Amino acid sequence: MQHTLAHLKKGERGVITDVSSDHIPLKLLEMGCLPGNEVELVQVAPFADPMYLNINGSHLAIRKETAIHILIEKVANE
Amino acid sequence: MSKQINVALIGNPNTGKTSVFNALTGLNQKVGNYPGITVEKKEGVCRLPRGIKAHIIDLPGTYSLNASSLDENVVIELLLNKNDKDFPDIAVVVTDVENLKRNLLLFTQIKDLEIPTLLVINMADRMRYKGISLDIDYLEAHLKTKIALISTRKNEGIDGLRELITNYKEVSTEPCLKTTDIDPAYFENLQKAFPNQLLYKLWLVITQDVNFGKTDRKEIDAVTSFKTKSKADLKRLQQKETIKRYQFINNVLKKGQTIDLSQAKDLRIKLDRILTHKVWGYVIFIAILLLIFQAIYDWSEVPMDFIDGVFASLSEWTKNVLPSGAFTDLIAEGIIPGLGGIVIFIPQIAFLFLFIAVLEESGYMSRVVFLMDKIMRRFGLSGKSVVPLISGTACAIPAVMATRNIESWKERLITILVTPFTTCSARLPVYLIIISLVIPKGKFLWLSYQALTLMLLYFLGFATAVLSAYILSKRLKIKSRSFFVVEMPNYKLPMIKNVAITVVEKTKSFVYGAGKIILAISIILWFLASYGPGDNFNNAEVIIKTEYASENLSEKDLQHKIASHKLEHSFIGIAGRLIEPSIRPLGYDWKIGIAIISSFAAREVFVGTLATIYSVGSDDEDTIKNRMAAEINPVRGGPLFTFASGISLLLFYAFAMQCMSTLAIVKKETNSWKWPVLQLAIMSSFAYLVALVAFQFLK
Amino acid sequence: MNDIIQNILVFTAIALAMLFLIKKFILPKSKTKKACGNDNDCACH
Repeated sequence: MQHTLAHLKKGERGVITDVSSDHIPLKLLEMGCLPGNEVELVQVAPFADPMYLNINGSHLAIRKETAIHILIEKVANE
Repeated sequence: MSKQINVALIGNPNTGKTSVFNALTGLNQKVGNYPGITVEKKEGVCRLPRGIKAHIIDLPGTYSLNASSLDENVVIELLLNKNDKDFPDIAVVVTDVENLKRNLLLFTQIKDLEIPTLLVINMADRMRYKGISLDIDYLEAHLKTKIALISTRKNEGIDGLRELITNYKEVSTEPCLKTTDIDPAYFENLQKAFPNQLLYKLWLVITQDVNFGKTDRKEIDAVTSFKTKSKADLKRLQQKETIKRYQFINNVLKKGQTIDLSQAKDLRIKLDRILTHKVWGYVIFIAILLLIFQAIYDWSEVPMDFIDGVFASLSEWTKNVLPSGAFTDLIAEGIIPGLGGIVIFIPQIAFLFLFIAVLEESGYMSRVVFLMDKIMRRFGLSGKSVVPLISGTACAIPAVMATRNIESWKERLITILVTPFTTCSARLPVYLIIISLVIPKGKFLWLSYQALTLMLLYFLGFATAVLSAYILSKRLKIKSRSFFVVEMPNYKLPMIKNVAITVVEKTKSFVYGAGKIILAISIILWFLASYGPGDNFNNAEVIIKTEYASENLSEKDLQHKIASHKLEHSFIGIAGRLIEPSIRPLGYDWKIGIAIISSFAAREVFVGTLATIYSVGSDDEDTIKNRMAAEINPVRGGPLFTFASGISLLLFYAFAMQCMSTLAIVKKETNSWKWPVLQLAIMSSFAYLVALVAFQFLK
Repeated sequence: MNDIIQNILVFTAIALAMLFLIKKFILPKSKTKKACGNDNDCACH
């Protein structure tokens, strides 16, 4: 199964594999949300939304509805 | 001979760009607006070595040159327009050492416009904590620029930056990337069509045209014929551009920057664990709000009593010193009490701005946005609506402007519409004086009743805002895609200098802005209260003397009777009694009625108006509050300001839309008269109804 | 004499105050540029 960002749990990490640019604001891409970059779910608000992420060193929060359009590959925590 | 150069400060939000601006210009700055739009324009002057003067513009923070808001658009408008009088001789891009990678995106874009560009790497003092080291020579060579490594917090490197700006002619204008690399086929074609134009500039004009629907640029007309790509295609190209830029940046930083993670100490993680916690996060947020209100109330009591007293004695002193006559009366009874009515609230307004500045500067505000988003969305708002709603406690005008970074139009419109319900600082004077008149002193736990009432009023404002947002979100049929991206900046100890400048500037503009209106209104009110038509006014002395001839009144009582008779038959008295029937069910007399009407210019006029009306004809040195407390209800006797009429008045002010400037800004921001007119009608009639019900129940 | 001067000053002050308020609230401001776009789509991208 393909994972999206929304599947991450708090503290888990992944690598972005694809973003469907039609559903993602350009601003998010500019902040580093691009294929190949690593992403970590730092914190979730109650009801798991919005999600507080660390993408490639940039800390930002997005809503779940945006997160489901970002495909990732989970990375095991060492 | 001195020479002046234009310097533009550009940078991502949260990079300390404003600190750099403050460090360069000191208090030598002015805040205005860009013509025709309400984006704040900050300019300042900085003296450089060798007698050169730099005119510095602090441009709005932006993540890239692909503008998605009015504020960001200002940046690109300036950088594309060589004929603008502010067009920079040199662009200074401010970056944060901890977010260098992301911050450099904007830098490479500006470089590609072939504008001489300096790179400022700020917060150098944090490098050690984060285990970051930089190879400045390598970076300078590969980014084709000069770098100033500075720390505004420690005030280091500023002189070096000044020196670099002075030598602006030596800064390279060579671009970082070749625009054609993004998509060779497309860009080579474009260049063929416009061989004389800078390719990257053309590209920006094309994409901004799509993003923004701007048509007032001549060049676009020529370009539109070429615009064969669809919106989605262009966006894909923009994505490609972003990827290319990051590849370039990654390559440069791979050698130019080393981060030793084992050295990094992360305060962020520890603080976030508590401040964004599912339970503690909210508890802390509420505690902070409580602290703010208690502080506003308690800490400002002493300076306020002092100011009140000073103005009362100033009035008295003027009367004694100046030759008696109409103009002296105008000064002593019109202008001084009117001005006193505004000066007295400087302490509280300053405290409020202080707290808001600290919350923003520290990075805490973003955590609140994060915590509140889901909750706010239930009511049709966005987490970002919290910022306007909180800064609305200072003033609705900047709050309405602060909605600009809300991505969804529907959420933004609703936020604009409900923000005026939050308790702005202009309501504060009204609340404070009425609370002190009708709410008993005494304490509940550690909170005084009066502070508690004030807090309830703030809460009422928020609750009404949120509930009406809910209703609006159900009623408004607007389709809009909603994106939500919010940066979570590092926690920073607020810099005293930045906070102080914000507080001083904001308070100053509040006092000057409102002060002029209040001064003008109090002059006119004084006139209307001191002159009147017909016998009843002009022969007041004779009338009263004959009426009370049989009673043995003291001279003082007699004078008082004459004065109130005159006031009642002055222009303002006549007008006031005309509207009295409509406000009597709310528990007000005609004097309050006049104050309410003049409040539609701006709420804070209320206290000044009452001060002016009550001062006319009174000789005693007395404070506004004591005069109000002494007012007698003309119908039933007893004090005019009772618990019932006081609460009714508080509720009226809580809900009524009484601020012309806010209406004007809503018109500007929504581009339509529909919304401000609806706001005025609905809010004010709701206020009347609630005040009516409250008074009838409580009396 | 004093009375006349005082009255003149009072009416000047009132005239100035009126002028200021009229200018501030009644006369429309010049320089209004369309804020964003032609199709009323401010910030809804």
